[in-house]
Amino acid sequence: MKRIIVVVGMLLLGVGAVSAQQDVVNQRQKVMKANGKNLGGVMGAMAKGEKPYDQAAVDAAIAQLEDTAKTLPSLFPDSTKGLKTEGDYSASPKIWENRSDFDSHIASFGKAVTEAKASIKDLATLKAAVPVLGKQCSGCHETYRLKNS
Amino acid sequence: MLRRLSILTGLTAIVGFAVYWWLTIPVTIAASALSAYTPDLANGKTTFNAGGCSSCHGVPKQEDRTRLGGGLGLASPFGTFYVPNISPDPIDGIGRWTEAEFVTAVNDGVSPTGEHYFPAFPYAAYHKAKLSDVRDLFAYLKTLPPVSGKVRDHDVPFPFNIRRNIGIWKLLFVNSEPFRSDPGQPAQWNRGAYLVNALGHCAECHSPRNFLGGIVAGQRFAGGPNPEGKGWVPNITQKGLADWSEKDIAYFLESGILPDGDSVGGSMVEVIRNTSQLSPEDRGAIASYIKSLPPIVGPPKPARSKPKS
Repeated sequence: MKRIIVVVGMLLLGVGAVSAQQDVVNQRQKVMKANGKNLGGVMGAMAKGEKPYDQAAVDAAIAQLEDTAKTLPSLFPDSTKGLKTEGDYSASPKIWENRSDFDSHIASFGKAVTEAKASIKDLATLKAAVPVLGKQCSGCHETYRLKNS
Repeated sequence: MLRRLSILTGLTAIVGFAVYWWLTIPVTIAASALSAYTPDLANGKTTFNAGGCSSCHGVPKQEDRTRLGGGLGLASPFGTFYVPNISPDPIDGIGRWTEAEFVTAVNDGVSPTGEHYFPAFPYAAYHKAKLSDVRDLFAYLKTLPPVSGKVRDHDVPFPFNIRRNIGIWKLLFVNSEPFRSDPGQPAQWNRGAYLVNALGHCAECHSPRNFLGGIVAGQRFAGGPNPEGKGWVPNITQKGLADWSEKDIAYFLESGILPDGDSVGGSMVEVIRNTSQLSPEDRGAIASYIKSLPPIVGPPKPARSKPKS
């Protein structure tokens, strides 16, 4: 009987751990999607001329990106290494193999967001800043994001 | 009877080999074929960016796109190609090359020693590059920093390592026609067609290939398995990009940001590093041409495997 309790308990703990990992992954994907929406749907659309320039919307988008830069380091705990996820992409195991390089990418992204926040004042400065931010995204995705197949 | 037969067989073999030899003679352009010319360095730089030279020849894992020491390993079903040094270094790079040797290499895929290059070097596209662009490019490359270090030999097994056979491959898959503008289309579209097909060599990755490694002509630009191995290269005809506007394409080439806000990944990141350096007019031209590609169904993409947990 005791053994059964222990075994069941262990299993429950295990399931709990797995779903906690899944939560982190879901959170990660949510944050990334929000970044995409702000960068492509808000700022990118303005830079392309599909939407009129709107300082308040830019400020909100930048605030979300700033928030991302702060939370990103905690969204890739060791426990999620090798977890293949639903959706189009997964995190590459290289993240945990070259953790310091990965973290330096996040730091670089944070710096770019801070600079964008200071520089974007009108359409011209927005047009100049968005590709710089895009380069930060792809610079990290190039190595650390895997396409699910 | 037997003797006659063996003589006949021998003769046929000799004639056959002679024909093979003749068919596979590497083309070279003589220095005398090039008239006096003052190169335009600015256009050389544009050609460099549009041609994507640094994506393969740039020293991997460093920011400077002008250090062309090579060394990148390009995996393929035929073996791994190691990209050569094309910096102006006189010993390890192309510092001692003549202009005619360079033009021969880029336009016809033949080395200064008269060997065929492997078609990992996209001369099937560069063959259509204008002579003036190639000459400007040569002058521009000469202004870049020399990088020392010889790149290792290709790791390509028999029978693909027989260079002479590439002559046959060229006959089959390199269209010898020069680039021709379509007078029925605006100048911008024609500029785009030139950038995409001649310099940009987009079809090299964005098309499926047959078992000999040649592009399947009827499915040009329709995407397919990644020639480097993992993953899938997207269809860029209107079958795949129907919901992208011209502006979306041009902006993607500038920023690497897709219309849905996602950012580019994989080998295309390097391509964006080049296209972001082009003029907005050139990016617009590429977009206008790409947007005009009729929808073509590419090879079927394998079903996605279920994620493992």
